[in-house]
Amino acid sequence: MKSIIAFAVALVALGAPPATAQKLKIVTSTTDLHSIAHAIGGKRISAIAISAGYQDPHHVEAKPSFVIKMRDADVFAFVGLDLEIGWAPLLIEGARNRRIAPGGTGHVDVSKTMPVLDVAQGAVDRSQGDVHPRGNPHYWLDPGNGRRIARLFTDKFSALDPAGAAEYEQNLKAFNARLDATVRELAPFLAQIKGKPVVAWHTSWRYFAEFTGMNLVGFMEPKPGVPPSPAHLAGLIQTMKRTGAKVIIMENFYNRKTADLVASKTGAKVLLLPPSVGGVKEIRDYVGLITYDVKKVAEAVQ
Amino acid sequence: MRSLFYVGALVVSVAARAIGQQPDSVAKRDSTQKAQADSALRADSIFMERELGRIRNEPRRRDGIEQPAGATTASSTGQGPTNPTLLPNISGIGDLIFDLSPEGTTQEEGERFLVREVELGIQAAVDPYFRGDFFLGVHGDGIEIEEAYLSTLALPWQTQVRLGRFLLPFGKQNTTHRPELHTIEHSRPVQEFLGGEGAHGTGVWMSKIFAPFGFYQEFQGAVVDAFAVEDHAEGDLPGEPVVLVTDEPANRRLSGLGYSARLRNYWDLGEATNVELSGSVVTGKRAIEATCVSGGVVQCPADVTAVNARQSVAGVDLTYRWRPLQQGLYRSLIVQAEWMRQLNPQPGSGGFPRGVSVEVDGSRDSFDGAYVFARYQLTRRTYAAARFDWLEEPEQPGASLTAASAYFIFYPSEFSKMVAMYERVKPPFDKATNRVVFQTTFAVGPHRPHPF
Repeated sequence: MKSIIAFAVALVALGAPPATAQKLKIVTSTTDLHSIAHAIGGKRISAIAISAGYQDPHHVEAKPSFVIKMRDADVFAFVGLDLEIGWAPLLIEGARNRRIAPGGTGHVDVSKTMPVLDVAQGAVDRSQGDVHPRGNPHYWLDPGNGRRIARLFTDKFSALDPAGAAEYEQNLKAFNARLDATVRELAPFLAQIKGKPVVAWHTSWRYFAEFTGMNLVGFMEPKPGVPPSPAHLAGLIQTMKRTGAKVIIMENFYNRKTADLVASKTGAKVLLLPPSVGGVKEIRDYVGLITYDVKKVAEAVQ
Repeated sequence: MRSLFYVGALVVSVAARAIGQQPDSVAKRDSTQKAQADSALRADSIFMERELGRIRNEPRRRDGIEQPAGATTASSTGQGPTNPTLLPNISGIGDLIFDLSPEGTTQEEGERFLVREVELGIQAAVDPYFRGDFFLGVHGDGIEIEEAYLSTLALPWQTQVRLGRFLLPFGKQNTTHRPELHTIEHSRPVQEFLGGEGAHGTGVWMSKIFAPFGFYQEFQGAVVDAFAVEDHAEGDLPGEPVVLVTDEPANRRLSGLGYSARLRNYWDLGEATNVELSGSVVTGKRAIEATCVSGGVVQCPADVTAVNARQSVAGVDLTYRWRPLQQGLYRSLIVQAEWMRQLNPQPGSGGFPRGVSVEVDGSRDSFDGAYVFARYQLTRRTYAAARFDWLEEPEQPGASLTAASAYFIFYPSEFSKMVAMYERVKPPFDKATNRVVFQTTFAVGPHRPHPF
């Protein structure tokens, strides 16, 4: 009897799926990538995001608790184009996980599949501010790029978990269908936005402008990452008066005092617009982010 | 026999599963995922080609959109490497000091205006297995190798090993290069126990991260050729350093090498607050000025002026951080405290030349030091900070040096910093002095971000 039990236990032990058959562990740098990863991976993955949606993704603290999250990850997906350069290298090195290290199967620089705006031309140095020489990294704010992210995740997850390829593909179709339907529903709002002059705090809304057709006539920052100077603001006020810009768009992690000052001089309104999923409680996923931001801008430019 | 077979099969099976389940067993995962990885790379390549072709044919939506000045609109995919010639990252940090203390400069160099240091960093991956880091300190009196080490990139079990010269893993401040400190100088206990620029060593460093209790822990250990802190003894003339000659090199025996260890413990208290509590120890033998006495007569071996005596430093450091995520650009707080004790050779504790009793000059007692530092962010680019240092006087039990300093820090950007410091120093048997020092540091080139 003991022999039978021992044999049965051995068979069960041998027949059980190996540890690698567990859920894919995905870590993303931002909540937007997390949302899309979750939409594609469904129940076959576990995913966490490092930064919060209401946090400036340029300035995230490389906390050791993140290292613990990344040391067992199968995939670390990040925006790239140096958005996370101040903290992701520390986490990757600290995690000591070859899968997510550069060259590893789980090191996913999402920007590699993006059409990038604002690629620096000519010589680049820091006198130009917090410049991203390889291009503007805020590409997720264009739903077309959201589809590209979803496609990339589908391919990556399928490669690492071939058994789930069909499910990932199915999830991709569902994601794209939902996004397409949302963009169609947003058509009246996009029509209201198209061509309207607006000012943004940071260059992060360039892709959103490409998508919506809103006319970015200036930035509060004289150079990326550089707080506005009085001289720059004076020029910007003139630009706003000349172009009729009545909206200043800024992320909800910037201090709005300066924007309020400019608004008071121009009769414009300041629109705090979350750039990421979770930026405000109502935005629970990527499609929700696009919907929320488009409607808010449409409402503001009326 | 059959039972043995079944049990054997069970053991092998369970062991195989256990190994497979180890999160650290990267090699095991790689062996099972190699085919998947190759497939992933191929898939990425095909996907990218497909996407690029599609994007090239995709019209841009730019009609009727006025572009703001300064916003270039070039669009690109297939971004190439930023360093196609495989050059390493080269950076430099300048550290300028302006000492306007009312009673004369307080800088060792005796200058009021000085380039205290230029730190040159050269960093790159060596190959798929190692990365190399060089930090050279260029001072007025020459070039010093501050750090030069080879780090492993692919060791299993979340371990990392460094070979070369590095800052010893001890305490919170010691592993930070001086120009990158929150303050202008190391705290006085660090200066006294570990050296003005921190304790360095050449040898082997290893680290392992783990989280058996659900929070981050890291063990760091190092074995180095020597644990040496500049001796403050003076020769016959004021300011002249004494020449310390021992009867044998400290590193002749393994017990004479320097050993350092640190255990970091980190907890998130909330999304905006966290705390780190760590303990450190460093020990080694170093030359200490001594007088050899035999039968009441001074009788040192020829030219011997010092003995290799064990000296150790133990410490505890606590760091509390607060930085709200949404307003993190504008508000933050760091409170840091470090306590350390220097353990000096005790009479009869051994380690002295055979057949000779030695009177070690200076204190044999252990003595303590501590500092408390706080920095609060006022605006996006300005900070106010203060530090209080306390250091026991080794020669006089009960007496201590205290120093209180206040700082105003301005960051024009993350690559330049300007600090104004006022410090009041009260030595144990002397009147208090005031110091006013300004510092400017600036960095060029791609300098790796500093550890949390």
